[in-house]
Amino acid sequence: MTGQHRIEDLLRECTPQVLAALVRRYGQFDACEDAVQEALLAATLQWPGEGIPERPRSWLLTVAGRALVDEWRTDSARRRRETAAALDPTDHVPAADLAADLTGADRDDTLALLFLCCHPALSPPSQLALTLRAVGGLTTTQIAAAFLVPEATIAKRIVRAKQRIRDAGARFELPAQPQRTERLGVVLQVLYLIFNEGYTTSSGPALQRADLTAEAIRLTRLLQHLLPDEAEVAGLLALMLLTDARRAARTNADGRIAPLADQHRDLWDTDAIGEGQAILTRTLGTGPVGPYQLQAAIAALHDEAPAAGATDWPQILALYDVLTTVAPGPVVTLSRAVALAHVHGPRAGLALLGTLDTDERMAHTHRLEAVRAHLLEQAGDTTAARDAYLRAARMTANLPEQRYLELRGARLHQPGPANLAD
Amino acid sequence: MKYMIMMFGGIGAATRDRPAEWIAGMHELLMKLDTELKESGECVASDSLADPSQAKTVRFTGGAPVPTDGPFAEVKESLAGYWIVEADEERALAIASQVVGYTEYPMEVRRIMDHSAQP
Repeated sequence: MTGQHRIEDLLRECTPQVLAALVRRYGQFDACEDAVQEALLAATLQWPGEGIPERPRSWLLTVAGRALVDEWRTDSARRRRETAAALDPTDHVPAADLAADLTGADRDDTLALLFLCCHPALSPPSQLALTLRAVGGLTTTQIAAAFLVPEATIAKRIVRAKQRIRDAGARFELPAQPQRTERLGVVLQVLYLIFNEGYTTSSGPALQRADLTAEAIRLTRLLQHLLPDEAEVAGLLALMLLTDARRAARTNADGRIAPLADQHRDLWDTDAIGEGQAILTRTLGTGPVGPYQLQAAIAALHDEAPAAGATDWPQILALYDVLTTVAPGPVVTLSRAVALAHVHGPRAGLALLGTLDTDERMAHTHRLEAVRAHLLEQAGDTTAARDAYLRAARMTANLPEQRYLELRGARLHQPGPANLAD
Repeated sequence: MKYMIMMFGGIGAATRDRPAEWIAGMHELLMKLDTELKESGECVASDSLADPSQAKTVRFTGGAPVPTDGPFAEVKESLAGYWIVEADEERALAIASQVVGYTEYPMEVRRIMDHSAQP
């Protein structure tokens, strides 16, 4: 089993490098991406029995290159190739030459690949799927399982994504400034989306899918390794680590949600917290402070508190104040209201929440009502709190969250004679 | 044979004044049953739908399809969740009875049409 894991880890590490080398050589991102998937499949079938080849990347390159040439030899593909003004199919480069390509330009290649998969012409679901496959080395089956959708859906999404990349005339290269910073922002967004999709599933029975969070952390770690001087990349990695550290404590044994204040803190992953803190300490002050670094700093303050009551709320509120100026938005306001309530009392928090009532962006999320319910409960207004919990329960599309909110509401219910007669 | 076992939106209103322990018991029952049906292989598909108050209905109004807020039927008649099970009718009814025995709220059990060309 560990051998199987080692092979899988190795394959996924090689995926972006092999794909980038092929694209650099042949162009045609979409055909190369299919060829790499074929090579990964072949390796998955052969390596466990025959052993890992001495030079696994060259092996994958040879097999993928062969798959590419086979594909080009079919008639329909040849027509496509001719109209796409591609390369001569007989220009089959021996693996040794291709492998030589890997040495120098590896770093930029993997980056260019990430930028391509997170191309702004693609919809977020397509960006996610393509990044996980082309850079993450996951199969369509694995991606479909992680997102709880049929495999055909992901397969079509990837085909369409690759078409769009071709139609948009996207180039396999690192974008130049000032586009680069903007495009890096999209890459970070996609990685954070993958993380959040795993951490709080947007729908479905399981609250978290650890495989997606682990993959998001692995890819962000890779990106941070490639861009060590980008403070926000480090900030995002720290944020993921400091958040994911609480994973084991987020649900009880019976699958129910445990809110931060009620979590068993001895279940938190101290290694992940330590790593997140170290990254954050190294990073803060080295570049412009951005939303990911600030959120990571807030997560670190939560993680450092030995008990919920020992949380440094004044410091958290101060960080939210900065976040409000750097990256204002309704979600930040919502979180700031919680901090405000802890420092200045629930009524102060409720007053701030009131400013979100007319915000269109909050109209379709249960979070506003859920936070309001908690603050009303803290303020001792149980009737209004119960109504807010039940409203929030009706609005969420996450089943464990719905059950949690229903239960919180039910706990505030004092059965009177009218209810007993019901 | 496949059967769809359906729960309706009215269950929300019917159970909202129950004490917390009762609500927790219902959640437990539904999760346990769901796990059992999946582990036994009887469950073909199952899902809970978001609250009907979040639904939109598309109606043909003024010569064009127009979406409006709210479910098509009364909230209490709106589908809230379902299991599709590979089972005979007796078994499907027994599954529904386990839930109704606790919630005291009705569920519907319906045969799913066969797609195959040969009877």
